[in-house]
Amino acid sequence: MGKTAELLPGTLDMLILKAVSQQAHHGYGILLRIRQISGDALEIPQGSLYPALYRLEHQRLIAAEWGQSDNNRRAKYYTLTAAGRRRLREETEGWNRLASAMSAALNSTPGEA
Amino acid sequence: MLNRLRSLLGVLTSRRDFEAGMSAELKFHIEQYAADLVRSGVSPVEARRRARMELGGLNSLKDECRKARGLTLLDDLGRDLRHAVRMLRKSPGFTAAALLTLGLCLGANLTIFAVIDSILLRPLPFPDAGRLVTIFNTYPKAGVDRDGSSIANYYERRGRIPAFSSLSMYRFETAIVGEQGSMIREPVVLVSPEFFTTLGRDPAMGRVFAESETAFDTDSVVILSDGFWRQNFHADPQVIGRRIRVSGSPFTVVGVLPPGFRFLSSEARLYFPYPSRLEDRSSLQRHSGGNVTQIIARLRPGVALAQAQSQIDAQNSALELQDPQAKMMADAGFRSIVTPLHADHVASIRPTLLLLQAGVLALLLIGAVNLVNLLLIRAAGRAKELAVRQALGASRRHVVCEALVETVLLTLGGGLLGLAAGAGGIRLLALLGGDRLPLGNYIAPDARLFAAALAASLMLGVLLAAPLAWFHLRPGLGNALQSESRTGTAGRAAQALRHGFIVAQIALAFVLLSGSALLGLSLQRAMSVSPGFEPNHVLTSQITLPGRSYPDTRTRLAFVEKLMSAFGGRPGIVSAGVVSNLPFSGHNGKSAATVKGYTRPPGESPRGHYSYSVGGDYFRAMGFSLIAGRFLGEEDSRRSPRVCVVDQDFARYYWPKGGVIGQQLFQGSQMGPGAEAFRVVGVVGSVKQAGLTDAAAQGAVYYPYSFQPATDMFVVLRSAAAPENLGRTLRSAVRQIDAELPVNDVRSMDARISDSLLVRRSPALLAGFFSVIALLLTAIGTYGVLSYAIAQRRREIGVRMALGARPEQIRRHFLTLALRLLAGGAVLGVLGAWFAGRAMRAFLFQVPAFSLAAVAAVTVVVSAVSLAACLLPAHRAARTSPMEAIADD
Repeated sequence: MGKTAELLPGTLDMLILKAVSQQAHHGYGILLRIRQISGDALEIPQGSLYPALYRLEHQRLIAAEWGQSDNNRRAKYYTLTAAGRRRLREETEGWNRLASAMSAALNSTPGEA
Repeated sequence: MLNRLRSLLGVLTSRRDFEAGMSAELKFHIEQYAADLVRSGVSPVEARRRARMELGGLNSLKDECRKARGLTLLDDLGRDLRHAVRMLRKSPGFTAAALLTLGLCLGANLTIFAVIDSILLRPLPFPDAGRLVTIFNTYPKAGVDRDGSSIANYYERRGRIPAFSSLSMYRFETAIVGEQGSMIREPVVLVSPEFFTTLGRDPAMGRVFAESETAFDTDSVVILSDGFWRQNFHADPQVIGRRIRVSGSPFTVVGVLPPGFRFLSSEARLYFPYPSRLEDRSSLQRHSGGNVTQIIARLRPGVALAQAQSQIDAQNSALELQDPQAKMMADAGFRSIVTPLHADHVASIRPTLLLLQAGVLALLLIGAVNLVNLLLIRAAGRAKELAVRQALGASRRHVVCEALVETVLLTLGGGLLGLAAGAGGIRLLALLGGDRLPLGNYIAPDARLFAAALAASLMLGVLLAAPLAWFHLRPGLGNALQSESRTGTAGRAAQALRHGFIVAQIALAFVLLSGSALLGLSLQRAMSVSPGFEPNHVLTSQITLPGRSYPDTRTRLAFVEKLMSAFGGRPGIVSAGVVSNLPFSGHNGKSAATVKGYTRPPGESPRGHYSYSVGGDYFRAMGFSLIAGRFLGEEDSRRSPRVCVVDQDFARYYWPKGGVIGQQLFQGSQMGPGAEAFRVVGVVGSVKQAGLTDAAAQGAVYYPYSFQPATDMFVVLRSAAAPENLGRTLRSAVRQIDAELPVNDVRSMDARISDSLLVRRSPALLAGFFSVIALLLTAIGTYGVLSYAIAQRRREIGVRMALGARPEQIRRHFLTLALRLLAGGAVLGVLGAWFAGRAMRAFLFQVPAFSLAAVAAVTVVVSAVSLAACLLPAHRAARTSPMEAIADD
């Protein structure tokens, strides 16, 4: 496992939405998927995953359905809803704006201004 | 928001599935993770342990998941509910008293609300019913407030008043329907062709009437109600063109109305065209309404009532220019009023209903105050428990929630009981004559009543919780912990609040009681009014001669004479007569009479008088008193000299100096060129015409039957014994003369008079009933609060007695408290009674709005009841044993 970064507050929801945006995943799968797409850089505390999933389901940003897992077990699969997709897009744009602003601000040298 | 609610509902409906799913999901996670760990070389046991560790405490995790789905709020509610139920079950006495109070008070309110809803609030069952209006003529200065409209009015107005999209006239009638042997008299409506269009409900089958069908001597046609069609034609779809017999002649069915069609309060199942001759439609007949024909109209969308009124006024003034009667009508204050149909139809009953609603609201208030007091007392008993819980971290929100859940649970239970009581009350109201009110047949428990009960219960629950929450969250509650007594200290504020509520309760009961005393006194005064004749031993009944078999004076007179001679020899019948309109029969129209040699002084308005045609020995049968001259007899109808009898009011108005006999007068408002005068041959005592509480002495003229041979008549029999026994004699006598003639509405005159008091009796009875409950509730409330005060101060009393206080002193102490509360309540009550009396002046008859006698009586009753409620606890206080009291706690 490489270097992991601390998760910023409020970003877990974004990551979950992103994780299920391409393909349905069960809870454990989402964990793995986040680790994978962040290049093993982000580690989700397992205890906070499920409350977040339930909250997002409650907000109808993701939908859940029972299905068969790879090893033929019953598992709950989450997919992105239309509202979730919209939210993901908004959040991504917002994040990108913030990130570039932050990095511009933090990397500025005394000469600029 | 909606989405979340739906998600919450989805979870709620399958709560068990939710829990099972959650467990399965977490288990799956642990197993997957453990399997991955094993694959990376960890031992299976260690893998499972680590997987579990990383997920954290399973229970708190599940709880967080539940909270994420919004479930914990409901779980809390469930817990509070269970707590509330437990608390209520722990004090069954309190719970029963509270439920009973709520049930009674809400039941009374729901009953009256059901009546108000069906009569006043709900729109008439027609599309856009708010645009329906009625137009009536009024001649207020002549003492005729309402004279309906005339046929001429209708023909002059229809199509000519731009404010109306449709205008029509109607008239309630009765008709004899059916084949020989099974004939019944049915209420029917005569209507102009566009009547159903005006109402906005076309026949479900067939057509409306054609213009040509409103002329006399055309084909006879009829439109049936859905009910009549189902009952008499077994819902035959081919009914159009079939015939029914009405008044012995065949009528062709041209239409069937949609189900549920009902015009105002009418029970009519048959509708006929309104027939009229050309002379009925002429302008000379413009003012001959007689409150029989009525006009309804539909306002065009966007047109205000005032516009319609000004258009009608403008047309009236234009028509008056060529009207020879215009001057006289203007002197009588003539106007045509446009007014909303629904409001007009229920105008007579509206104030009574609002009065009753005010009464039951006061009752509810008394009940609510009672409950608040009981709840506060109970809360005081739990002060310490609550203080401990708050100290242990129960949030303020939680304390309020708990109080709210408990009171709402109570009021919902009370609401259910109230619904049951309300359903019973509605049935009871029907017995009291509720279904005879305008639109009274629509009164029934329904979904709206249920919704009202629910809303009232919830609102009441929240209102009751407010003082309770205040009590629990007082800043001084912490003191309860330090207090050694289990029940905590009696906060001064809480005590003042309780006493204030008692005062309010006594005042409200006082007002309610004095209001019903005023109604009762008015009823008593009304009942003691003499109608002016002798109603006992008089049997009355209504007969309508069909115009086809009795087309003229000769045939009608022959019928009356045969009928009178049939009664002549019968044992038990003292005298018999007929009259065109019976006093107290509900339809007493007024018309004009012109006295020869009388010139109206300037500024004096022309007068409307009651006008009757009488046959047989009507005056003796009714027991009129003869003031001068003679009564009309049977022979007056046969002889040609025109004679009449006037009543005392009439005589006094026109001939104040006397010399009435031999004077002459004309029927109607005009001395036409060919008119022949009637000579006054007698003066009879004035009688009450419309009701015992008639104020105006309008005067009456009685003509012999042959000069005004009405087809509608009342038969009057005076009997030696109980009049009810004569019903059979009456029917058989009529049947022998004309077997097809139904005899209707056979009732003793006493019963008619008693029925005429219904509008006074029923509200008085209801108000009395409410007052008794109010008094009872007040007594219970006073008793409860005082008992509590004494129980709380038991120890103090014990100490005082140990120090030498005598039982009388203790008793006196508490009785003084009771007297102070009573005095406060009585002062407020007298004030309230004064306002209430003024507000209900319209309902009072010969009783002043502020009756000292009534107030004195009410004071006595309220004092007696509330003092009695105080005596028992005060007595118990005086018997406190000092030893026990001090040893307690």
